[in-house]
Amino acid sequence: MFPGFTRVPIVMPQLGESIAEATVVRIPYEVGAEIEGEADVIEVETNKATMGVAAPCRGRIAEWLVELQQSYPVGATLGWLEVSEEEAARLGIDVATPAPAADNPSGEPQKVAPRATVQPTVRGLPVPAHAAGASYLSPRLKARMNELGLHAADLAGVAGSGAAGRVTVEDFEKFITKLEENKLSPASSMRVAVADAMRRSWSRPLATVGMPVVIDTLLAHRKASEPKPGPALYALRALAIALGENSAPAGRLVGDKIVHPRAIDVGFAVEAEDGVLVPVLRDADKTPLREMVVRYNELVELARQRRLPPAAQGGSIATVTNFGTFGLQWATPIPLPEQTLVLGLGAGRVVPSWDKTKSAFIPATEAGLTLSFDHRVLDGGGAGRLLQRISALLQEPATL
Amino acid sequence: MITYLEAIREAQARALADDPRVYIYGQDVGNFGGAFKATKGLAKEFPGRVIDSPLSEDAIVGSAIGAAIEGMRPIVEMQFADFSTVAFNQIVNQAATLNWRTNVPCPITVRLPSGGTSGAGPFHSQSMEALYAHYPGLIVMTPATVEDAYSMLLEAVAIDDPVIFCEHKYLYYHLKAEALPTEAVPTGKARLARAGRDATIVTYSAMVHESLACAEELATEGWEIEVIDLRSIKPLDTDTVLASVARTGRLLAVGEAWPWGGVTAEVIARVATEGFSLLDAPPMRLNAKDTPVPYHPNLWGTHRPTAKTIATALRRLLAA
Amino acid sequence: MTSEPQQRFYIDAFRWMLLARTVDERIASLYRAGKIQGGVFLGKGQEALSAATGISLRKGDVFAPLIRDQAGRLAFGESLLDCTRTYLGSRLGPMRGRDGNVHRGRPREGLFAMISHLGAMIPVVAGALMARKFRGLTGTVGAASIGEGGTSTGAFHEALNLAAVEKLPLVLVVANNQYAYSTPNSRQFACADLIDKAIGYGVDGHSVDGTDLVACLAVLGEAVARARAGHGPQLVVASLLRLAGHGEHDDAGYVDPALRETAVGRDCLRVAEQHLLTERWADAATLTRWREEAAEQVEEAIAATVREPLPDPNQEDWCALASPHLRDGYTE
Repeated sequence: MFPGFTRVPIVMPQLGESIAEATVVRIPYEVGAEIEGEADVIEVETNKATMGVAAPCRGRIAEWLVELQQSYPVGATLGWLEVSEEEAARLGIDVATPAPAADNPSGEPQKVAPRATVQPTVRGLPVPAHAAGASYLSPRLKARMNELGLHAADLAGVAGSGAAGRVTVEDFEKFITKLEENKLSPASSMRVAVADAMRRSWSRPLATVGMPVVIDTLLAHRKASEPKPGPALYALRALAIALGENSAPAGRLVGDKIVHPRAIDVGFAVEAEDGVLVPVLRDADKTPLREMVVRYNELVELARQRRLPPAAQGGSIATVTNFGTFGLQWATPIPLPEQTLVLGLGAGRVVPSWDKTKSAFIPATEAGLTLSFDHRVLDGGGAGRLLQRISALLQEPATL
Repeated sequence: MITYLEAIREAQARALADDPRVYIYGQDVGNFGGAFKATKGLAKEFPGRVIDSPLSEDAIVGSAIGAAIEGMRPIVEMQFADFSTVAFNQIVNQAATLNWRTNVPCPITVRLPSGGTSGAGPFHSQSMEALYAHYPGLIVMTPATVEDAYSMLLEAVAIDDPVIFCEHKYLYYHLKAEALPTEAVPTGKARLARAGRDATIVTYSAMVHESLACAEELATEGWEIEVIDLRSIKPLDTDTVLASVARTGRLLAVGEAWPWGGVTAEVIARVATEGFSLLDAPPMRLNAKDTPVPYHPNLWGTHRPTAKTIATALRRLLAA
Repeated sequence: MTSEPQQRFYIDAFRWMLLARTVDERIASLYRAGKIQGGVFLGKGQEALSAATGISLRKGDVFAPLIRDQAGRLAFGESLLDCTRTYLGSRLGPMRGRDGNVHRGRPREGLFAMISHLGAMIPVVAGALMARKFRGLTGTVGAASIGEGGTSTGAFHEALNLAAVEKLPLVLVVANNQYAYSTPNSRQFACADLIDKAIGYGVDGHSVDGTDLVACLAVLGEAVARARAGHGPQLVVASLLRLAGHGEHDDAGYVDPALRETAVGRDCLRVAEQHLLTERWADAATLTRWREEAAEQVEEAIAATVREPLPDPNQEDWCALASPHLRDGYTE
């Protein structure tokens, strides 16, 4: 190339709407020919017509890249024009740049790259704002979980890979598949029922208060009784009397109404195989302790054997649980989903207790008394007063 | 090799040959062979049956309706889809209602050269399928392949109802196939253009090819994208769309037309109502920008969806 | 001297006019009694022109009547029951409740069912005539009615132009009744006479006094004959006055009362009656008898129609397509 000159491409123009290519039919100018102004330097034919392609400016044909009767697409370089730099600058034509090296000339298939990890973002997502976040379950996921009988609680162990950490259907299927690598045994229907009840109950704000209660008098009374009432029965009867005096703490809150209990039917928890059953003593506020003992023992036995009749279950307004039998001193049991209260009795133990009259520590048997309650219905004060009443009643076992 | 345009020409030749009730009417369709040469040579091969009309879209379509009442099967060519608005009244108020009102079918075929090409501008680029699909009584076809351009046009002529045949101008010469098909899938069934696993693109016409190009690119990133070619947007094959979303859980509807009330809106409405629990992420749509179609290639290049913009949208969908 | 056949022809046309006026007035009174669904459009004042059009056509011709063509429809062969059934909403009418009042027809029998967009039926008639040309059918004619208002539409222009280019046997009958709804001619067109448009389109033009049945029969007869003989489209422009409101919901208070006193404001039915009497083709007693017969026919049709079932939405297939397998799937 001579200094002061540059090469400019002769390009196949857009010859009409939807035309993609044209056939070269005549090349009137050979290499070396001088072209004046914007002469037609090559003739091409489309479906519609034969047309001339004009040179971009004055210059000399430096090279042709095309053959007669061959088709070339719109935008293809047909040849090169040698142009003085002043001419090129005058017309603002881009100076030719060397063609880039052909991509992937060997024609090998592309290797599949590892899947790019996607960075989840929170802003500007198609996930609706109010549903964004780890707790969002897509309709498809909900449908799938429904199929398998699962609840959101079952997904607690799944790390979501979707936007804002949500669990996608893919995550879910992986989770289920992985589970199958573990030993799986069927949960008993009892277990599933308890799981469902506890999950539903937990949807309320629950709280627990507790106090120690001295049970020496109670233990003495028990020793002297025949048949012997279980410790839980004392607590049950005390709770029943207290609720008989004021049933409001056992009411249920539905919307803006308190639903009052109709009868003071109190249940008590019995461990049965894979779960817990709750037999009920009806009108426990009207029945003295000694008259409940036989029935209580019967119900315990039936419950343990899973032979508790339906009439003996359900409909109780509060429950008593004696977690002391496991040696536990305190616990925060969860009330049944349809109840507001569960009274808990812990294990008795001998502790030093300050006796004012003797000005000395004397041994006393104490047990923890707890009340777990739905905090929408009852506050700490009401719960505390109820426990105090029960504690006072338990000091006079002969009145129960 | 045969182009999309040649396939349209071949279909018309076959229709003229097979059925004496068929004729072609429109501007410049006669000896000139049509603005895009879709009827090249047909006036000579079938004398008196490929007729030049005056520049009167309303009368072109209105007269076709009258001929159809008398038992003919006219094919009318609108020079550009964009000009069919002058015939809009005849199409939607006369042709589309004739059968319902009078029990006399209206077997006309209206060919609309549709869609954008570089430099064509606002009045030579429109995609009007949603407007016509909105009116009851019309069939709307949007072939994306050379094979469908051929077999669906033949079917359009055979159907007793008015058919709006949206042929894409960009595909005319850019799309080629080995040969004409010998069998055809009937109208009303969508086509699985590409099987996938991670997301579904539902689209039609030229956007099918943009979507396939995009799917190739995403395949190198490990994503398998399924592409559904609707083929006809009225009737719209909801079953195939739902089956695909059942496989992938994620939906992107892509259309070259404008967003409001377009085909993409219809697809998403159907999936949301009939397949809500198949969706693992909210459905997405990608359309042209909400302005008239720009003329300059720099602006036109970003006005409608391309493989690149489809890929960007898909990546967001896959991350949701 | 008028020949027997011409006399019979005139009487037949007159009796179609009389029947049309009778049924129109009956429908109007039913409308005022709240018995009609939708609007009522009367042909009062246009009967001569319309009857002349209908009676000049033959079986096998096509006719696209418009909203004031009760007389022409009857003359062409439409039954009175089609009118009463469509107005009263009987399920047995030709439109089966899917369209009403004057939007009725039987396309396969050559009677096209209008759509509301004025001018839109003219290209349809042109296309029907093109089809006949394709099939080598000669000797048929297509007629379309339009008002002077409709001549302002693009559809009118495109269709007449196309018919002229194709040299179709179209008879385009323009009823210039001086008002398009409330719009007087001075706001409708600027040319001196609508008939001048014939020159513009390259077609034959015929002007006629629309109030005179004798003139209408002569002019329409000639126009139809010329079309049938292959002279291309025939534009007929008739002058008359609309003697009713645009619809029965309209009192036409905007009509210049002076017009009613001029020749164009004459009632064509009264003019025709007078002609019958003058020519002694009928006497007063005959006219009375004809009026009674017309009234009886109308009463019979209405009595039959009101006993018929109405459209039942639960029996509709709610499908607009002729091809049910292409129905779009909507679940509701």
